[in-house]
Parts: sequence; C-alpha cells; structure tokens
Amino acid sequence: MSEMREKIKNTSVNDIKKFMLNNAIFFVLLGLLVIIVILEPTFISFRNFKNILAQSSTRVIMALGVGGIIVAKGTDLSLGKLVGLAAVISASLLQAPEYVYRMYPDLPQLPIILPILLVMLITGAFGFVNGFVISKFKVDPFIQTLGMMIIVYGVNSLYYDRPPYGAQPIGGLDEKFAHFAQGYFTVAGFDIPFLVIYAAITTIIVWVIWNKTVFGKNIFAIGGNSEAAFVSGVNVTKNLLMIYTFAGILYGLGGSLEAARIGTATNNTGNMYELDAIAACIVGGLSFDGGIGTIPGIVAGVLIFQVIAYGLSFIGVSPYLQYIIKGLIIIVAVAIDSRERAKKK
Amino acid sequence: MKKFLVLLLALVMVLSAVGCSSSSDAPAADTEKTVEKTEEMPKIGVTIYKYDDNFMSFVRRAITNSAEGKAEVLMNDSQNTQAVQNDQVDMMIAKGVKSLAINLVDPQAASSIIAKAKEADLPVVFFNKEPTLEDLNSYDRAWYVGTASKEAGIIQGEMIAEMWKANPEWDTNGDGVLSYVLLKGEPGHPDAEARTKFAVSSIVDAGIKVEELELQTGMWDSVKAKELMDAWLAKHGDNIEFVIANNDGMALGALQSLKANGYFAGDKFMPLVGVDAIPDVLEQIKEGTIVGTVLNDAANQGKATLELANNVARGNDPLEGTEWKLVDKAVRVPYVGVTIDNIEFAEKAYQ
Repeated sequence: MSEMREKIKNTSVNDIKKFMLNNAIFFVLLGLLVIIVILEPTFISFRNFKNILAQSSTRVIMALGVGGIIVAKGTDLSLGKLVGLAAVISASLLQAPEYVYRMYPDLPQLPIILPILLVMLITGAFGFVNGFVISKFKVDPFIQTLGMMIIVYGVNSLYYDRPPYGAQPIGGLDEKFAHFAQGYFTVAGFDIPFLVIYAAITTIIVWVIWNKTVFGKNIFAIGGNSEAAFVSGVNVTKNLLMIYTFAGILYGLGGSLEAARIGTATNNTGNMYELDAIAACIVGGLSFDGGIGTIPGIVAGVLIFQVIAYGLSFIGVSPYLQYIIKGLIIIVAVAIDSRERAKKK
Repeated sequence: MKKFLVLLLALVMVLSAVGCSSSSDAPAADTEKTVEKTEEMPKIGVTIYKYDDNFMSFVRRAITNSAEGKAEVLMNDSQNTQAVQNDQVDMMIAKGVKSLAINLVDPQAASSIIAKAKEADLPVVFFNKEPTLEDLNSYDRAWYVGTASKEAGIIQGEMIAEMWKANPEWDTNGDGVLSYVLLKGEPGHPDAEARTKFAVSSIVDAGIKVEELELQTGMWDSVKAKELMDAWLAKHGDNIEFVIANNDGMALGALQSLKANGYFAGDKFMPLVGVDAIPDVLEQIKEGTIVGTVLNDAANQGKATLELANNVARGNDPLEGTEWKLVDKAVRVPYVGVTIDNIEFAEKAYQ
C-alpha cells in the first residue's frame, strides 16, 4: 500500500519534471515575456497585439510551406530567395499606372489576383524542380536547396536589374495592391489587418491538407520512415514532388503579400527569411528528424518569435544582443528536440 | 538531469542577456522621469537603415549627441531590410513617439512609411536616403535632410582634375589621357548614379581627356571593391592611372588590393579618391595613400535631422532655432572636398 503511494508520488514528481522539460522552450519564452512586460508595462496593448499579428502573417504562410518539407525530413534554404523573387515579380506587375518609373511602362492595370497567381505558379515551378532533383536524384535537400537559393537570387537579380530603369527598388505599387495587404477592417473598435485573415485561411487550408488528406498522411509517413512508407505503397517520389511544389506555391503567396506589405521590393527582399521560418518551425515543435509536427505548433513558433523580436525592440534591447538571444532560443529548442528523440530511441 | 542543467543554463544566459541590455537602458528610464517633470524632451523614433554601415554610425552618433537634453531618441537598426523597418515604425508609433526620423532602406518605400505616419498623425523627417519629391509632397508633415547627390560627384571630379593637372607624373603612360577605373555604389541608388555621372563629367569639363577602363558596382562594400580591384589590376596592371570610388568604404577596399599588389611601397603609387571622409580614410590621407575624399558631413546631417525632428515633435516650425534652409521640403547639408591641405576641417566633423 505504502509502496503504491510512493510510486504515485514519484510519478507525479516525474510528470511535472517531464512537463517542464518538454515545454522548457515555452517557459524560457514566457520568462522573457514577463521581463519585457515588467520593463515596459505598456507592451500589453491592442495596438502592439495587432502589429505582432500583422507582422507574423506573411511569416506564417512561409513557415507553413517549409514546415511540410521539414516534416518530410527535408529542408528548404531557397525559401527566402523565392520569397524575394515572388515579391519582385508581383511588384513589377502591380505598379500604379501613373507611377513614373514602371518596369513595364505600357502594362495595363491588372486585377491583383492575376500576378499573385502567376507568381505562385512560378515559385511552385521552382519548388517542383527542388522536389524533382531531391526525389529522383537523391540529392540531399540541404545541398539542392542551397544551390537553388543561389540560382533563384541570380534569376531574380537578372529580372530586377534591367531596362528601362535598371536596379531600382520596385515601388509605386498599385493603391489596391497595397491596400490588399496593408488594409484592415474594424470590428467592435478593433482593427483587424487583412493579412491576418489571409494567414488564417491559409493555415486552415494547410491544416486540412495535413490532417484530412492522403497526401497529408503521406508527408508524415515519408518523414517518419521513407523506406517503410515506400514498402507500404506510398509513392515517395510523387509525394516529395508535391510537398516541395506546394511549399513553393506558399512562398509565392507569402512573397506577393510581403511586397504589398512593405510597399517596395528589391532582389534583397526575403533575405534570410528561410532561417527565420525554419527556426520558427523548430521552436514550434517540428523535428528535423522528420515525421513530427503540427500546424498549431508552426503558428505558435512564428508568433513566439515575433512576440520576442517585437518585445525586445520595444524595450530597446540592442539589435546585436537580439541576434544572440534569437540564436540561443533556436539552440535551446533544438536541444529539447534532440533530447526527446534520444529518449525515443 | 544534466540536460535540465543545460536548459537552465540557457535560460540564465538568455535572461542575463536581456538583463544587461536593460541595465544599459536604466539611464534612459531616468531621463524619462525628468521629462514628465519638465514636460519637455519629446520621444523621437529613429531608424538607421543598418547599424554596421560605417558612415551611418557617425550620423547615428551625431543624432544621439544632438539629442542630449533636448529629446529622447528611440534608435532602431533596420538591418538593411525594409520589412524590418516597417515593423519598427509600427512599434515606435505604438510606443507613442512624437515624431519619426527615418533613414529608409529602400528609397521607394517612403510611401508606405508616410502612410503609417499619416494614419498616426505624426510628422516624419527622412534623412540620408532621399524619397521622391512626389512622396514628400503627398504629406504636408514630411521633410528630408540630406545632401545634393550630384554635389559630391562634382566636388570629387573637380578635385581629381585639379590634382591631375598638378601632378603630371600620374599620367604614367604619358598619353595625356586619364585612364580610370570606377567603383560604383549600389546601382539605382541616387547617390551612386549621381556621383558616378558627375565625377566623370566634372573631369571632362575641366578639359581633361578620360578613358574608362572599368566601371562596376562594388555595392558600397569594401570586400567587393577589393575583389574587383584585384581583378582589374590583374587585367589592366599599370594602365590604370586613377581609382575613383563612390564611397570611402570601397576606396579602402581598393587600397587593400593595391597594397597587396605592391603599390604604396617604394615608388609605386596610385591616386585613389573616395567620398564620405570617414576617419579611416582621413588617416590614409595623412599617410599619403588615398589622395582625397569628399566630406559627407555626418555630424551636420545628424544634427540637422535631430533638430528638424525635435522641432516638429514639439509642433514648432521645422527650422525654428536652426541655421538650415528648406528647398522643396529638403535641407541640403553641403559637401566639402578633403585633401591633405584641409584635413583638420574634416577631422573636426568627428569630434
């Protein structure tokens, strides 16, 4: 009897410890958040909340793309450059007709949706190539997407730096396009940015794909054990192609929105976004070992990063220190991931 | 357990990192208290396009120094990314700044910053990276502090022409033609375009024949400039008679390359000029390697930016109590040509 009570006591202590450990990253971030609020109580305001949500929106869309790839035990370094390409192309096609320095001086005013779809097609095609090389030629995803990252930068720079005006940041965006991303509507006195809606819709769609379709189940099967998936009849090649293509499409959407949100695009737009997106996925609980991850995790990862980045700037932490803190957060998150994996084995 | 300790350690590191920075914030918090007492010292939100740009770091210091006792400055590093800058502007507005001083990352992004300022009903002073006049005119409370881009090029060109005439031995092949290589800044950047165009045209206007051996972008960057110069020296060797750089950063890169290729040792010499007059280059002028530069007056640009931002934050006329003049909503801080003869003047700009 007393033995059993001892056991119960032990388990509950262990459980708490386990819970603390499994969620250590959240406690670290919660700690940071508390410090931020103590130093600057005005941090808690609807305005800040709205800013953080709007700033996270495009990042969520990108992270959802690379998230699928990570679950399938891949990675994608070409994300940032593809976002840049998407931003440049969509901006070049959606400059206001009366703007003087138009890349296409005679282009009629296009409906917003057309260039965005076109761009999603283009970045999707680049994603397709990634998937093709990785699945057909068994090139390591890191290497393939590293190469693609450089290629896309070259392609983008060629497109960007050409007549009539050369390497000009592409500005003077169509009012409607800018409003499409910068606008908001007001509900009960609160401003809800349109971007948040787009991110929410995308999140729901990706959630359905991951959780309610065969394709989604295949992603997890391939990430968990691609040989086992192959043996049990999953067409690994085809599914990998689809995963990378789908990610490319999402980067296209994210990049177009990013251009509209910033109001300008250059061949440097999206620089290093891949690292932010991958880091957010890892903090959100995706394992680099594949097969593990949830949509809410990815969204939480992005939000956490944005809250911390915004909060640290808000209390005036030196940007150089912010790099150090961000880096530490990533390492801690991966340390936890590795710990859990080691335990499973 | 060991891993738990690792995590704990990480937590402590992260927290202490935040702790450090907040302690450096402490004096700022103190001044804030005195603000409330005297009801002065408005908060001014400042963004720098990137902190690790050597010239902008002096502008930043000038802004901070000029703000002493006048205004509380919230300084932000936009990390050379316009998206980051837009986010910072949102954040500063949320923090309740009274005016914005913005060093744009992309000059074309001015309209989105103006839209934010308009919505928050805040005045905005752009500096160093110039928005179009059209953008400035779209908001009655937007101004610009900078220089006249073409002036730096003209001054650089005139300086080159004068020195070329005074030093006939620089025409190494004696053909009477000045054969130059030019390190251009970021293509499309108004300063890069204007400096390139007007430096060369001023030499020609002074009656000197020129030959362009190479013209490439070094993206304002020392490392890129060094690599270009390495390649050019390999290709043209002693046929290069003059090195013109759009900024001092690139001039320093070219200098490294020249030194590595045996110049400035013995009688091997290459005239090299830049723009910005950063302290490094002033030292080089004293050593006799770089022959001239053009002072892009960081101290006065920072001072003018802060003075305008401070005035408009208080609802005053932007020029109240200052020595500046507004033309087309812009204050132009003059450039000054710097050689060994007037180097003290340039050094004063950094004191």
